[in-house]
This record gives sequence, C-alpha cells and structure tokens, in this order.
Amino acid sequence: MDDRPSSHAVGVSLCDSAPLLWRVEDLRTVRSQGLVGALLGSLPRTPRQNVRLGRPLLLLEEEETLLRERQAAAAGYQQDGRGAELRLQVQQHKEDQQRSYEEQSVLALEDRKSALLRAMTSSHTESGAGAQGGALRGRLEALDRSFTFPCSALAVQLSTARAGLSYCPEARVVLRADRPIRGRDELNCDAARYQVFRDLRGRGFYLTSAGKFGGDFLVYPGDPLRFHAHFIAVCVSENESVGLLDLLSVARLGSNVKKTVLLCSPGPDGRVLYTSLQWSGMV
Amino acid sequence: MADQNKKEPELKFYNEILTPSELFAARSRSRKIPVRGQKDFFPDDSDEQRRRLEQSLTEHWSLISEERVEKLGNLVKATWIPSQQIVELQSPAGKFWQTMGFSATGKQFLLPEEALYLMECGDLQVLHQDLPLSIQDGYEKFLSSSTVSLLQYQVFGHLKRLGYVVHRFDPSSQPSSYARQLNLPQSRDRAEKRGKRKRSDSPSTTSSHTEAQEESDRMEDKRGVHEGEDDEKLPESHPATSPETSGTHNAAASSAGAGGTWWMADVLGDQSDHQPTSGSSSHRDFGSILFPDLGSREHLSSCLASPDPSLLPGSLAVGVCDVSHWRQRINLREVKMSPKEQEREEARRKRRWDVNKDRQVRRCRNWAEYRELLARRGGRREGRPAHLWNREVTPLHDPRQPIPTGQLLEKISVIESTHLLEGASRLKDSDDWRICFNVYQPDSVADFKKSDPGKPYSRMCVCSFGGPVPDLRAIKQLALQSGDVLVVFAVVDHGDISFYTFKDFQLPTDVIP
Repeated sequence: MDDRPSSHAVGVSLCDSAPLLWRVEDLRTVRSQGLVGALLGSLPRTPRQNVRLGRPLLLLEEEETLLRERQAAAAGYQQDGRGAELRLQVQQHKEDQQRSYEEQSVLALEDRKSALLRAMTSSHTESGAGAQGGALRGRLEALDRSFTFPCSALAVQLSTARAGLSYCPEARVVLRADRPIRGRDELNCDAARYQVFRDLRGRGFYLTSAGKFGGDFLVYPGDPLRFHAHFIAVCVSENESVGLLDLLSVARLGSNVKKTVLLCSPGPDGRVLYTSLQWSGMV
Repeated sequence: MADQNKKEPELKFYNEILTPSELFAARSRSRKIPVRGQKDFFPDDSDEQRRRLEQSLTEHWSLISEERVEKLGNLVKATWIPSQQIVELQSPAGKFWQTMGFSATGKQFLLPEEALYLMECGDLQVLHQDLPLSIQDGYEKFLSSSTVSLLQYQVFGHLKRLGYVVHRFDPSSQPSSYARQLNLPQSRDRAEKRGKRKRSDSPSTTSSHTEAQEESDRMEDKRGVHEGEDDEKLPESHPATSPETSGTHNAAASSAGAGGTWWMADVLGDQSDHQPTSGSSSHRDFGSILFPDLGSREHLSSCLASPDPSLLPGSLAVGVCDVSHWRQRINLREVKMSPKEQEREEARRKRRWDVNKDRQVRRCRNWAEYRELLARRGGRREGRPAHLWNREVTPLHDPRQPIPTGQLLEKISVIESTHLLEGASRLKDSDDWRICFNVYQPDSVADFKKSDPGKPYSRMCVCSFGGPVPDLRAIKQLALQSGDVLVVFAVVDHGDISFYTFKDFQLPTDVIP
C-alpha cells in the first residue's frame, strides 16, 4: 500500500513540546510503519464534531522515539537554503492569488456556459432547433461579454501544513532526520514503556494510548481503523511488587471492556515478559 | 498532492498548495463523513478483510488530506499581533462574534485560541506580515504557556466543536473570600454596596441593619475604624445600668480597644456613657433608701413625701404624692384563716424560700441584675443551664429544641463529615492547579451576551493523564474559587479527553427518627 522506504524523514514539529505531524505524506509514512498517533485538529470537511478529527497528528513519546531510532541512520533532508526575502514572498503570494483569480474566473465562465447549455438543450429538444440555437448563441455571447467573476467568490486555501515556500525558514530545520528531534534527556519517555512498545510493535501489533482504560497501551491486532483492541498493556518492571488490589482492579476493568490485561515486564536483553490474569472459574 | 509523491523525496521541497483548478473544484465537494463500518475481531488474512481495510484507509486518507477551501467573501480577515498575543480583525466579524472576541479602543480582537479554532473551522484567515498563516503556523505561534497550552487548546477545541461557549477563566472576576463571607452580590455592584455600607454607619439605621451590614460593621470595629463615635447606635429599650456598674464597664470598654472582648463590652460601655448625670454619685447606701409600703396598715398618712432629689436622675422634680386613691384599691382586710389553715400557712412560710435570703439575689445591685438572674434561673429550669450557653463554647445541642434522633445523632457526632468548601478559605493559594475555562451550555448560545455571560455551566481545569491527581487541598481551593459552579477536570490522554468531577457525597444514615 504505502511502501516508501523508511529513509523518508518525517517532519516532526514541536508545539508546546508535543511532537506533531502536519503533512499528509508524513502521516502516511508513520501509519505505514504501524504507528497510529492521535489526530487533534478539526476535520476540514465538517469541523464542528469530535467523531472524526483531522491533522495535526500527535505522536506518542514512544512513537517519536521509535521514529528517531529508525531514521537515525537515514540520509535526511538537506536544507536547500531557499530563504527568500519576506518582501518577495508577499509579492509572490499576491501574484499567485492574482493568477488563481484569473484561472478561476475562466473556469467559472466555462461552468456557467455549460450549465446554460445544458439547461437550453434539455428543455428544447423537440421544438425548432434552429431558432433555439440562435438564441443560445446570443445568450452565450452576452454571457462572454458581461461575465465578471466576483472577487469574493474566489476560492482560497487555508493551508493546514506550513507550505514549503512560506516565510518561516526554521520549518525546514526539523526535517533533517540525522539531527535528533530532541535529545534523549529531553524526552521523558519511560524506558520500560518504550521497551514494551517496541516489542509489541515488532510483533505486528498496533498501539494507542490507553489512559481511559487505566493502562499504558491499547493493543490492536491490526489497523485500529478496522479492528478492536484485544489487550490492555500495563507496564510493570519485573522486580516491582504490585499490590493485589491494583492487580485485581486492572483485571476487573479489562474483563468489563472485554479485553485481556497484559502485564508487561521488560527483561534484561530487550525481551519482554507478558503475563495475563484470568478468573479461574472455580467456585 | 499525488504528483508530488512521485518526485525524489530528497530534493522535493514540500508543499500542499492546491492549483487554481483544484481550488475551484473543491467548491462543490461533499461535506459528508463516510460511515465507519463494524470493526472485525481478528485479522484472518482474507481478501474480504483486506479489501475493507483498503477502503477504510482510502477514506481515511482522503479525509485527512483534504485542505480547507473557502470563498474569499466568506472569510473574515485578521492579523496576528505577536507582541500582544492577540488577533485583530480586519473585516467585519461573523456570527461567531456573539460568543467570541472582545472590543478595545474601537477595534475587534480575538484571543489566540479563539482565532485558531475559527481558522480550523474555515471561518477566519489570519495574516502575519501580509502572508496568510497556515493552521500549523497557528498552532505553533498562538499556543504557548503565556496564552493557552496545547493541552488546554485540545480541551477548548473539543468543547467548542460540541457547541459549548468557552471563555478563559479570570480569577480576578471572582469575589474575594472576604466579599464571599459577607455574601455580597457580584463584583459589578460592589462599589455601590460600599457606599450603602457607609451610610449604614449612621445611628439612625441601627435597627434596620441587615445581617451582612452588621457583619461588615463588626469587621470595621475589629479593624479599629470605628472608635465609638456612634454611641447612639444602641436601641433605647436597653435595660438601664446603674452608675456603679458603669465604672467597671467603662474600664472594660477601654480595654476592648486593645482587642479583648470588644463587642459586648463596647455595647455596655456606650450605654453607660449615655447617662451623663449618674457619673458623680458613685456609691449608694440602699439600706437608707426607703421604699414606701402602701399596704401596711400602720401607714396612716394619705400622702407620700417627695423622694430624696439626689436619688433622682437629672433635673427631675417629684412632688408630694397623694396615695389615698391607691389605698382604696388595695384590699386591706385581714385574712381570716382557720387554725388549720393558719398552721398550714405557717408551715408553708417556713418552707418558703425567702427571696431576701438568697445570696445571689442579695448580690444583685439593681433590678436589671435581678432580672438577669431570674432569666438565668428560668433558663435552667427550662432545661437549658444558662451558664453553659453564655460562653464561647456551648453544648452541641439546645435541649429546648426537640429534633429527631437521627438528626440529633448526626449533630452530636464528634467526627463530622465535611464538605468540600469547609476550611477552604483558610488554605493558601498554590499555583499548581488553576481553572482555565468558563463553560456555558450550547443551548445558551442564542441569547448569550459576552458582556453579561451569567453563571457558567461549569469551570474547566485542564490536566494530563501523565500528571498527578489533584489532592484534597487543590480540590478545595478550586471549589472555593469557583463558588457554586461545578469544577470539572478535563484530563487529556494523548488525543482522548475525559472529564471528571469531584463531588461532595452525603453518606446515607439508617437511623429511624
């Protein structure tokens, strides 16, 4: 489906220290790597609802770390040094808009003509074609002369991602994958969580955040678009003692939402020990 | 954008700008969201599943990649002012102005979170340095710790998309704990109220004091503003105190100035000051003052001599009093009793408690004190020992007020359940938790006024799943700050937002009354 090489660097932009992805291409790239993230923005098509959201995509810290790890060796983007002056950019923007206006007014005229043509021909197919044809030609010529495309009807784009030619040159800095997005110490990604995330992702599972289920990750057997989550992963280090009540409460919660609770304990050599709790059925 | 993907990624400079024909075509695109079908339980590698996944993903990407395209005439234009962190409108505002934005110096402004939300809705185009800002620019420029954080904006956007009216919470708009204690109305008429209170300090309004005003007066006393200049303040009907007591009370009053039992003493002290003539004759020999006994048979004179003028207040002159009129009304006949009756009467007299032998009564120096004593005793007889009630610490329950057993048990229980606001005013402010937004319900939008938004439906506190749970102290403080409006904790977990509230819970009691 989307088999771009993983050498494609993903442009992560930090907003309030949260890693956000903006460009569709980047979103596709991370999804093709099985990283789901979470959409935060309003959907352009129908903005006033929360059922389906749009860009930007917020990455989990683990996802960000994984991306960084995978792409550390990849040849990243080189900055092309196109730091056009602001004045030129404003000029460019105005010219673009003017060109867009001209093109759109041609399109609008054509649109109007074809609509007129359709209306005339469909309603007068049987009656005297000659006279009608003359009238049609007259109407079309009149339209050609008098048509003006109002400026307010000009369709303009409210860009989602910052355009490449936008005036903000620092945008391109983060595109270089060989430059870490953030230093390791800046990331407060828990090592245990990351190890579990990496292991589960490595086994082909899709993961999302499971805060509302009282766990660390929700584990999906396939793309979350099509599949329900099977597990609630709770990261517990191997030698950490867990209170019985805590254990029971996560297990109870898991059974209530028809998911299995996985206690994930990262081992020494990158392996993870998975344990699940089940009611024995004995009375 | 498909054509861009074919280019070499290393060399391509990224943009998602639509061509004019794409823009034109976008005018007639669908506004519907494709319905998501039932999810599968487990991937089974079937073609059917693969096809459905493919379809879902195609829909997903078409939705995600869609750009906002609006007609220029439908867009409100604005500019970003980085120095003030606000957005100034350049063209007339749209419908959103009813619930968003503010005017200042003849200009219309939007707060950054409002502007960003409107940008996301395709209602607003924000320019900076004559170039339109993308949504990404908006997120990166508008959201900061000095305005609204990303976390807070997530909550803001979530609620706005649901139709709620969301405003920033301004702690200074809340009445102070002092104002709240006085139960004053909201800040708008606070100034007027203050004027009223000043007027109430005049003597004439004493009797019409409302509770709040009285309280405020007392507060003023405490702060030393009041210096006893309003001695007329006391009601006329106050029982007279003898000149002898006035001396001690004066002392008490003066010590009250230094902050002792200021209130009670103040009252009595003022009263004694009010009797100018009594000051000189400080001691009286009550044994030498004769009270006439009109019932006595020995007394034959029909006239009473005028009393000693030194005993009378001021310039009051009392002449000779003719008592013959009164004597006619008194039954002067001797009571004829049988010997048995006489015996009984004798016994009764022996048993009878002679009021003059009572030490406490003898200690009374005037009628007021005697009356007080009687009242005290009366109270005791009624089941409420007065000495238990006239001090700072009083019994838990007044036995004269019968209440059901359940209530009584609740009342006398030493460990009581408390409510959220209890003791909250004593807590010091902390900056760890703060209320972010006032939220008004969607159905209030129609007649919503920004100038007079009324009481919010709830107040939002934004936190993250990664952070700590608010402790009782924080909950109390926020509840106090919010007053009678519910504080809701919006907990953001990555993309999900959950809303929680901490509510007082009254445990049911199973005592049958």
